[in-house]
Amino acid sequence: MSRPLDNPNPKIYPKLEEKLSVNEQIEDIPRNADAVDARRVFELLRNITDPEHPLTLEQLNVVEQRLIEVDNEKNQINVQFTPTIPHCSMATLIGLSIRTQLLRKISPKFKVSVTVTPGTHVSEAAVNKQLGDKERVAAALENEFLCNVIEQCLESTEEL
Amino acid sequence: MGVLELIQSLEGHKGRVWNVCWHPSGETLASCGEDKSIRIWMHDKSKWVIKSILLEGHSRTIREVSWSPCGNYIASCSFDATVAIWDQKSGQFECNTTLEGHENEVKSISWSASGQLLATCSRDKSVWVWEVTDDDYECAAVINAHTQDVKKVRWHPEKDILASASYDDTVKIFKEDTSSSDFICVATLASHTSTVWSLSFDKTGNRLVTCSDDQTLKIWHQYEPGNEMGIPTPDNEPVWKCVCTLSGYHSRTVYDVDWCKLTGLIVTSCGDDVIRVFREEDDSDVHQPTFSLVCKLDNAHTQDVNCSQWNPVTPGLIASCSDDGTVKLWSYSD
Amino acid sequence: MASRFSGALQLTTLDDFITPSQECIKPVEIKKNKVKTGTKIKIQDDGTYTEVLEGGPTTKLEKVEITLADCLACSGCITSAESVLVTQQSQEELLKVFKEKMDKQKAGESNFKHIVVSLSIQPILSLAERYKLSPDETALKLSGYFKSMGADVVLDMTVAEDFSLIESAKEFVERYKASKEGSKNQLPMLASSCPGWVCYAEKTHGNFILPYIGVTKSPQQIMGSLVKYHFADLKGLSPEQLYHITLMPCYDKKLEASREDFYNSLKETRDVDCVITAIEIEQMLTQQGKELNDFDEAEIDKPFQEQDQENSTILLGHKGSGSGGYANFIFEYAAKNLFQLPNAKLELKSLRNPDFQEATLEKDGEILLRFAVANGFRNIQNLVQKLKRGKSPYDYVEVMACPIGCLNGGAQIRSQDGAQPRELAAKLENEYHKLPHSDPELNPTVQKLYKSWLDSENSDKAQSFFHTQYHEIEKMNPSISIKW
Repeated sequence: MSRPLDNPNPKIYPKLEEKLSVNEQIEDIPRNADAVDARRVFELLRNITDPEHPLTLEQLNVVEQRLIEVDNEKNQINVQFTPTIPHCSMATLIGLSIRTQLLRKISPKFKVSVTVTPGTHVSEAAVNKQLGDKERVAAALENEFLCNVIEQCLESTEEL
Repeated sequence: MGVLELIQSLEGHKGRVWNVCWHPSGETLASCGEDKSIRIWMHDKSKWVIKSILLEGHSRTIREVSWSPCGNYIASCSFDATVAIWDQKSGQFECNTTLEGHENEVKSISWSASGQLLATCSRDKSVWVWEVTDDDYECAAVINAHTQDVKKVRWHPEKDILASASYDDTVKIFKEDTSSSDFICVATLASHTSTVWSLSFDKTGNRLVTCSDDQTLKIWHQYEPGNEMGIPTPDNEPVWKCVCTLSGYHSRTVYDVDWCKLTGLIVTSCGDDVIRVFREEDDSDVHQPTFSLVCKLDNAHTQDVNCSQWNPVTPGLIASCSDDGTVKLWSYSD
Repeated sequence: MASRFSGALQLTTLDDFITPSQECIKPVEIKKNKVKTGTKIKIQDDGTYTEVLEGGPTTKLEKVEITLADCLACSGCITSAESVLVTQQSQEELLKVFKEKMDKQKAGESNFKHIVVSLSIQPILSLAERYKLSPDETALKLSGYFKSMGADVVLDMTVAEDFSLIESAKEFVERYKASKEGSKNQLPMLASSCPGWVCYAEKTHGNFILPYIGVTKSPQQIMGSLVKYHFADLKGLSPEQLYHITLMPCYDKKLEASREDFYNSLKETRDVDCVITAIEIEQMLTQQGKELNDFDEAEIDKPFQEQDQENSTILLGHKGSGSGGYANFIFEYAAKNLFQLPNAKLELKSLRNPDFQEATLEKDGEILLRFAVANGFRNIQNLVQKLKRGKSPYDYVEVMACPIGCLNGGAQIRSQDGAQPRELAAKLENEYHKLPHSDPELNPTVQKLYKSWLDSENSDKAQSFFHTQYHEIEKMNPSISIKW
C-alpha cells in the first residue's frame, strides 16, 4: 500500500511503566473483569496499536486515563480519544478499534461511548456520529478487511 | 399507569436480534439478527415454540424481516446488500427470489398495504420501490433523495405513500408521479437533531411518529391542501408538520417505535434497555396533541432493545427483541 | 450540492462524506526519497506542506493530484470525479483556453491552438427553449457566441451521428448473424452511446454485461476522431494543435471524453478536449449579463461537404428517440438487410412505465426481432436483472441513463416556468421531430468521408476510428481508509 501516511512523524509519549514510580506498580490494577474503573479501561486500551504506526495509542497520547470516565452505578463508560492530527483520516478506524476492544473485554451491561476529545478533529461531529451508530459499527465488523485491520491493531492487547 | 407483563422469553438466536415481525394473522412471529437466521415462532397450546429456522438466505446479518399482507411471503434484508423473498409453496419456507441492486447494507424492508409494492433502503442512501406481480419483482423506482444512510422505510397503512427515515436526520415522504409512474419525494420532515431510526404511521395514515438518536419522539400531522387550519400547502401537496415532541423520557437512542393500529398506543424500544408505552390523552387536540408515558419497564432486556411491535390482532400483545439475544413477548394492560 | 451526474453514476459504489482530498480511497503513488530520519512536515500558513530536514533545507512537498482518469479507473466512488471535473473540464477552463488563444494571436504568436466547437442537437434544443429562439437561430447564435470568444470553426454533429447509426446497425447485423451461428454473448446488443450507462456497467457489472455493449463509438467520440484526425489534416495541422470542444446534454459526457481510450499518448492530446453543457452555457451567459440573443449569428461551418451540395438546411434530426434514434434506425436497417422487409416501422409500446418500451418485427405471425428502449436507472436495473436471470427476450436495447433519454440529459436547462421534466422533454421532442430528418445511408457527406478519409467503408482505418472497447474495473483491494 503506497498511501501516504497522514502523520509520518508523530510525537511519542512515555508509556505507563515509564511514568509510574517503583512503589506504584501496575499490579495494583484490579484484574477482576467486573470491577471496572478508568485504570482498568485504560489498561485495555493503551496497547492498541495505531493502524499506521507500530506505536501504541498510549505512546501517541491518543488515549489517556484522565479522558476515561466510568460510572459503575449507571453502568456507563465514556472514552474520549485524541487523534494525533486534526485531519487524521484514521480517526474513525482508531475509534472503531477502541469500541471493538471494549465490546469484547467489558461486560455487555455497560453502555459504552467512544468520542473524539472535543476540539481535536476537523470532522469531530461526523466521526462521533458514526462511532455512536451501532448499526454502522456492526456492519463494519462484518467487513472482512476492516476486521483484519482491527485485529492487527488489537493484537498486542491479547494477553489482557 | 399501565403494566407490561412478560409472557415468555424466546431463546435461540445467537447474538443480537435486530427485528421481529408479526404475521398478519397475529398467530406467528418472525425474528432475525446477527446469526443470519430467520426464526419463526408459533403459539402452540399454552406457549410459544419455534416452528422453523430459515438459514442460507443471506451471508451477513439479517437486519429486518417482513411478512407480506397476504401472509404467504417473508421478505428479509441483509447487510449482504440483498433482499430475499421466502415462500412456502413447497410446504417449507424457501428463498426463491433474491433482489439485487443495492450497493451495500440493506437496512429496512416494507410491503405496501396491497402487497403489490415492496420498498427497501440502504446505506447507499437510496430508497428502492419494487413492483410485485405474481412472483416477478421489477424495480419501479430508485430514489436518491437522502444525503446519508437510510435507516427505515414504511408504507402508509392504506395508500401507496412511502416514508423513509435517515442518518441525515430527516424523514421523507414519497409518492407515485402518475405521468412517469416513478416515485418522487413530496415532503421532507426536518426537526430531529440526529439520526432518525424509525417511524410508524397511525391507523389513519394522517399521522406519523418518529424516533431518533436525539432521544426524542416526534408526532407529525399531515395537512391536506385547503385544510381548515389554513396551513399553506405549496405545490398543492400535503404538508407534514411536527405537532408534538416527546423529550425527557428516553435516556439513550430510541431505535424503534410502533403505533398500534388497534389501540392507538405507542411503544418504543430504547438503547437504555427500557420498553416504554405512550398513550394520547383523552382531551388531546389533534393539532397540538398531548401524550403521556403510561408504562416504563426498566431492564425489559439486559441490553439495548432494538425493536418492539404490537400484535396486529390481539390488543396489548407486544413482541420485542434485543442485543441480549432474546425475543420477548409482553402483555400490556391499563 | 446535489450531484450533477446521472442517477446510475450517483449510486455506483458511493461512499460517505466524499471529497477527493479527504475521502478518496485510491491509493496514490508518491515518489519518495529514501526514508530520512528526523524529518518533519510542517504546514505553512498558505496550507502547503513542507518537509524540514533536521538542521537542513526545507522542501515544498508535492500535492497529490487525482485526475479524472484516475476516478474512471477506480472502483471507488464516482462522486469524487465531480469535484475533479470542476478543475479539468469546466467553463473556467474553457474561458482560459479562449483567452490564451486570443492573447497569443494578438501578440502575433503563431503557436496558438485552433479552437473547434462541435454542437450536438439536444443542448441546442434546450437553449432554444430557454432563449425563445428557433433551433436554427440558436445554432447560428451559438456559432456567433463561440466565434466572438475566439473559436475558429463551429460544426454541427449530424455526420458523426449518422456514422454512429450506420456503424451500430452494421454491428447489429453482424452480431445477429454470429448469434444465429451459435456465437455466445452477441445478443441483445446494448447501446453504447450513453457514457453514464457504460461507466455504470464497467464499474458494477464488469465482464458480465460488457460483451453485450456495442463497440461503436458515440457521436461525440466519432466527432473527436473526425476533427483531430481528418479536419486537422485538411487544415495542415497536427491533432494537438487543435482544441476540440463539444456541446453536450449531460455531464457524463465529460467522463467519456476523459477515457484513456480517447487519448493519444504520442501526441498528448484527447479527441475531445473539453465538454461543455447547455446549463453551463446558460451560466456563462448569465455571468456576462448576456442572453444568447445578444450575439450576432455566424455560420455553421461545413468543411466536409461537397462544394455543390445544397446548403439550405442548418440542423437535422433523426427518426425515433431524442437520444439519437438508435433503436429506430437499427430496427429498420436490420429489417431491410436481414429479412428483406424495407418498410418496417418501429412501433414502441410502453411496458410498466413510459421509460421502458418494446417493439417487435413480425412476419406471418412470427416474431423476428424484439427491440426495447430502456431509459433511466430503474430500467437499467430491470434490464440487467433480466440478463442475469437469462430472461431477456431482446435483440437490441437502446439504453440511456437518464429518464426520458438525452433530451432530458442531466445538464439540460431546467424549466423556467416550473414545468415537470417530462413536460419540458415532450416540448423539446416535439421541436426535434419538426426538424428535417437526416437519412444516414443517403447522406453524401458520409459516403464521401468513407472514401476520402477512411479509404473504404470496412477499412482498418474505419474500424479504429469508429470502434472502441470497454474495461471491467476490478474491485480494488480495500484500503485502510475504507468507508463503513
